[in-house]
Formats: sequence, C-alpha cells, structure tokens
Amino acid sequence: MSNDVVVSAQGLTKRFGSQLVFEDVSLDVHKSEVVAIIGPSGAGKSTFIRCINHLHPFDGGTLELLGHTLHGGLKSPSRAVLRDIRTRVGMVFQTFNLFPHLTVMENIILAPLDVKKVPREKAVALARELLDLVGLEHKKDMYPKRLSGGEQQRVALCRALAMEPEVMLFDEPTSMLDPELVGEVLSAIQRLAKQGMTMILVTHEMTFAKEVADTVVIMADHRVAEMGPARQVLESPQTERAQQFLRRVLEPVETMEELSAAAGQGGED
Amino acid sequence: MHTLWSAWVQYLPDYWQGVRVTLELTGASLLVAIVLGFLLALARLSTLRVLDFMATAYVEIVRAIPVLIILFICYYSLAQAGLKLSGPVAAVVGLGGFYATLYGEIFRGAIMGVDRGQKEAAAALGMPEGLVMRKIVLPQAFFAILPPATNQLSNLIKDTSLVFTIAVADLMFQANAASANNFLPLDMLLLAGVIYFLFYLILSKLLARWELNVQRRRG
Amino acid sequence: MGVAMHYVGVYAAGALKDFGLTVVSTVLSMILGVLAAVGRLYGPRLIRLLISWYVELIRGLPAILQLFILYFGLNQVGITFSPLAAALIWLVLYGVGYAVEIFRSGIMAVAQGQREAAAALGLSSGTTMRKIIFPQALVAMLPPLTSFVVLQLKNTTMLYLIGYADIMYEARLGVDATNQAGPLYVMAAIAYLIMSFIIGRIGMRMERRAAAYR
Repeated sequence: MSNDVVVSAQGLTKRFGSQLVFEDVSLDVHKSEVVAIIGPSGAGKSTFIRCINHLHPFDGGTLELLGHTLHGGLKSPSRAVLRDIRTRVGMVFQTFNLFPHLTVMENIILAPLDVKKVPREKAVALARELLDLVGLEHKKDMYPKRLSGGEQQRVALCRALAMEPEVMLFDEPTSMLDPELVGEVLSAIQRLAKQGMTMILVTHEMTFAKEVADTVVIMADHRVAEMGPARQVLESPQTERAQQFLRRVLEPVETMEELSAAAGQGGED
Repeated sequence: MHTLWSAWVQYLPDYWQGVRVTLELTGASLLVAIVLGFLLALARLSTLRVLDFMATAYVEIVRAIPVLIILFICYYSLAQAGLKLSGPVAAVVGLGGFYATLYGEIFRGAIMGVDRGQKEAAAALGMPEGLVMRKIVLPQAFFAILPPATNQLSNLIKDTSLVFTIAVADLMFQANAASANNFLPLDMLLLAGVIYFLFYLILSKLLARWELNVQRRRG
Repeated sequence: MGVAMHYVGVYAAGALKDFGLTVVSTVLSMILGVLAAVGRLYGPRLIRLLISWYVELIRGLPAILQLFILYFGLNQVGITFSPLAAALIWLVLYGVGYAVEIFRSGIMAVAQGQREAAAALGLSSGTTMRKIIFPQALVAMLPPLTSFVVLQLKNTTMLYLIGYADIMYEARLGVDATNQAGPLYVMAAIAYLIMSFIIGRIGMRMERRAAAYR
C-alpha cells in the first residue's frame, strides 16, 4: 500500500445468506481523492460503502484502511480497531438518521463529547463553526423534525465532520430530497471536496459525479463494471454493461416502444 | 340514599387504610416489574443463546398462568416448600414477577422499534454499544414505552384486588370486611368501585394527556 | 406428589368446566361485542355514548369486584343467581367490554381507501361491512382476540370465590384436606398453562389461515 492510499479494497465479497450482494470489488482511494460509485439500484453500492466502516462485515477479500488490515470472514475486528476506524471515517446516510430526541447542537456534539472526550467548549465551538459553514447556525437549538430534508442532511454532514474524520462516506446523500433542496446539499459536499477531504460517495447525480469526482466506479450486477477517471468513464465507457447503464440514465426515453423495452429489462431492482 | 351515604362515611377510615395498602403494593410491584422486566428484555435481545432462551421460557410460562394462582404459589406453595413469605411480600413477588413479563415485552418491542438507521448512524460515529443503548436507543424507545406501560399500570392496580385472598388488607379486603359487618355488600362494594374507578380515570385520562403533550413538544 | 395424583381426575373435570365456560362466554360476548362495536362506531349519538361509558366502566373496575357486585352485591336488593349463572353473566358482561374495543379498532384499522373503493363500486354499506371491511379487520383482530380468550380463561380462576366448583375450587379443597399446597397449586398452574397453550395454538392457526391473502 503506497503512502497516500487511504482505503484499499482487494477482492471484497459480501453475501446476505445465500444472496450475493457484490463480489470481487477492488478499489484504491488516495488521499484527497473523490470517488463516486454509480450504478443501477440493487448493485450493492450502499452495502459496499457500509463495509468500509464495518457497519456490515464482509465475507471475502481484504480491506486496508488507516493503517488497519481487515480480512473477510467470521472473525470481526476488535472493539478498539472498530472504534478507531469509525471515529476516523465519517458517514452521511440517505435517510439522514439524525437523532430525533436531540437538538441540532446535541446531535453534533454527542460523539465528540462521549466518544472522543473532547472538552465541551471545544466541541460546541467546532459545531458552531461547521453549522455556520452550511448556513444553519441559527437552527442549532431546534429538533430535527422542524427542519427541511435539505437542512437535516446538512446537519448530518456537520455531525460527521465534527469528529474531524480523515475519510468521508456518503450513501446517496440527496436521493431522499425534494429536487429544489438537492443543490444546497451538493454544494456543501463540493466545498468539502475542494478542501481536500478524501471521499467515497454513492450517488445518482451524474452531473455532480462528473464535476466533483476524480474517479468514477460503475457497479452493476454485483460487481465493478468499469472504473477510471470520471470524465473518461462517463463520456466514453469501454464495457458493454457500463454503456448500457449510462445510456439508460443519461438519455431520456423518447418513444413508447423504448419505454416498454426499458420496462422489460428493468428487472434488477 | 341516606343509608348509603352514612354507611360509606362510617367505613371511610378502613377504606383509607386499604387504599394505602393497595397503592404501596402497586408501587413496590411496579418497581420489581420494571427492573426485572428490563433485565428480561436485555436478556431476550442478547446474542447469548442461553440468556435469550431462559428469559423467553420465563416470559412464556409465567404470563400464561393466572395471577391468582401465581399469588397462591408465592404464598402457600413456597411456604410448604420451606420459604415462608408474609402476605405483602408474596403479593409483591407474585405481582412483580408476573408484570415483569408484560413490561419486559413492552421494553423489548420499543427497543426493537427504534429505526435501524439510528443505530447505524451512532455506530458510524464510533459509539460503543452501551453508549448507543443509553444515549440513542433508550431515549427514543421511552415514548413508545409510555402508553402501553401506563395501560399495564392500570391493570396492575386492578390486579392488586386479588391479594385479599392471601390475607393482605388492601382496599378489596376492607370492602369485603365491611360487607360482612353491616350486611350491605352492594353499598360497600360500590364504594370500592368508585375508588378503583378514580385510579383508572387518573391513569387513563391524565397520563394520556401528559403523554400527548410531551410528544407534541418533541414535534 | 402421590397425593397430587389423586387429584388428576378431579382437576380434569374442573378444567373441563372452566374451558366450557370460557368457550360459551367468548362466543356470546363476541356476538354482543360485534353489535356493540358497530353501534359504537355508526349508531346514534346516545347509543355511542352509552356504549363507550359501558366500556370504560368494565375496563376501569377490577374483574373480581364486578363478580362480587353481581353475586354478593345484588343479593342486597333481592337479586340472586346460582354460581353458574353468575359466572356466565359476569364473563359475558366483562367480555363484551373488551370485545367492543377489539372489534372497533379492527374495523378502524382497515384503510379508508377500501371504503371509498367499495362506495365507488356502488356497494351498500352493509355489503361493504360484511364483504370488504370485516374480512380484512379479522386479520388485525385475531391476535388481540386470542389474548382476550386467554384473559377470560384466566378469569375463571376467581370463580371458586363464589363457590363454582372448578379447578381452583378443587385445589383449595384439596389443600384444606391434605396440606399439600405445593403440588396442588403448581398442578393448577400447569392445567391453566396447557389450556392457554391450546387456545394460543388455535389462534395461531387461524391467523395463518386468515392472513393467507397477504
């Protein structure tokens, strides 16, 4: 593992029972690199990034990250290793998952206080700073339910960043948002990328992936269909499966015949 | 009407004694039920097979036995086996042990009902399991627990009326004693009914309103 | 233990009595319960009010107190029942109070869309209730109905207090005669466990059948 590779997956495989989720996924993520994972639903993208911070154990392959080496199989990593990985890898979820019984501020400072044992004033100061960056400082004492989806997701981003992570994982951060709220979240993520954060994100936003990501990975049928520099993969994909997926996402269906043809093939959900 | 009223007034001090015993028994049994119930819930949610099995067996067996028989076993059967409990202690052990199965299931359901994403988000922040339980799962489960827990509390109060059968001088005991004394069972039982019904109203209406308010504030 | 074996036959006879009372009172209180639930939901204002007061009263008072008022209390004003009659009336009156709520929430749990769809097809309200609402409500009602039957079964333990000769009655007599409180009460518990288990099994089987369309 070269010095600036932060996350390295080699032949990662995951099953739920007899159901294959993904297999043989290999990927190197360098420091400050932004990797976007795209592909049809059901391809195993979300499960893959959950394996990186070990929310899901994986069955086969090797995962090296932040100086730890994890192997697939029954033996789970020790508590100390797990804690180290999770405090240094931040995650933002599709469904925000803010803690509804805590205010915005309490959501953000909970883990810094209780897990990293940061002094309270310091945690609060950082939280204010982060909230200010996403334009939500004035909402710090509200409960999550009072916020719009876009605001909730920006708070969730602050909550993850308050742990000062070295790697950020995003699981379809905008797919639960109303169209007019997508922009505010994407621009916050884009700013983070510009500051040099290492990021792996699962997304359906093709334009965003093209503009922000250095590398694009297309996952389809439980494996990596194609991977490479963002523009190259998105504009001139080499493999048949990647071309097929991109054609369907990028070009609107125009005739009823195409519509029914697409409906006939769309069985992978 | 006049005789009813004078009969009631005459026995009021006795009934007051009975009410105190009923409330004390309810409080003590509730405490046992909550503590034991929480342990049962944790055991049933545990990954340790043995714990889960033992707790499940306890819950399934005990809650299928009528409360009256449980009280008899705690008072008479244990005494024959050499463990002599006083009436009130047997009542608290019996009622607490029985209601622990109901509270345990309430706690378990509420804990399992907390959205999986909440546990994931907390784990992703590096929080260890105990902390996730204390700071994330239990506070959210609390509001799911309140309504059924209040409901069971009102059942518990009603079930304390069975302890007169093991020689505990609760409200029902006083009502029976008074009936035997003045041969006016209808009057004397009705007075007990009024008191029990008041407890029920307080629990079902006032607590329900309070719960609604708390939930609304959380919006 | 040897003493206890003498009582197996007596217990079985007592259990049969308890079980029979449970079944008869359940059937009666369910029939009355359905009517009361419909009255509670769709009846005139006064009927709705009366039924909801009745439900509160039954749920608010200890079962044993209700039994005593019926058997001992009414005696004061010259109304007397045999133990069997008192037992049956008590179980039915008590059961209706619980059955109403089970049926009512079951009916309300069926989605509003179902009613609208039935109305849009021109079905009468009676047909809608019988053919659309009730079959769906039944699935939601079966688990609470099963617990309700078990509750009624457990209530029969109190009947020895008015001299109805069931399991508990025999157990008390036995303990008086032999001083064997240990085995005799534990055996009574086992008898009730077995009966609850049987009811639970029947309930589960019905649930599985009723939910087949899901």
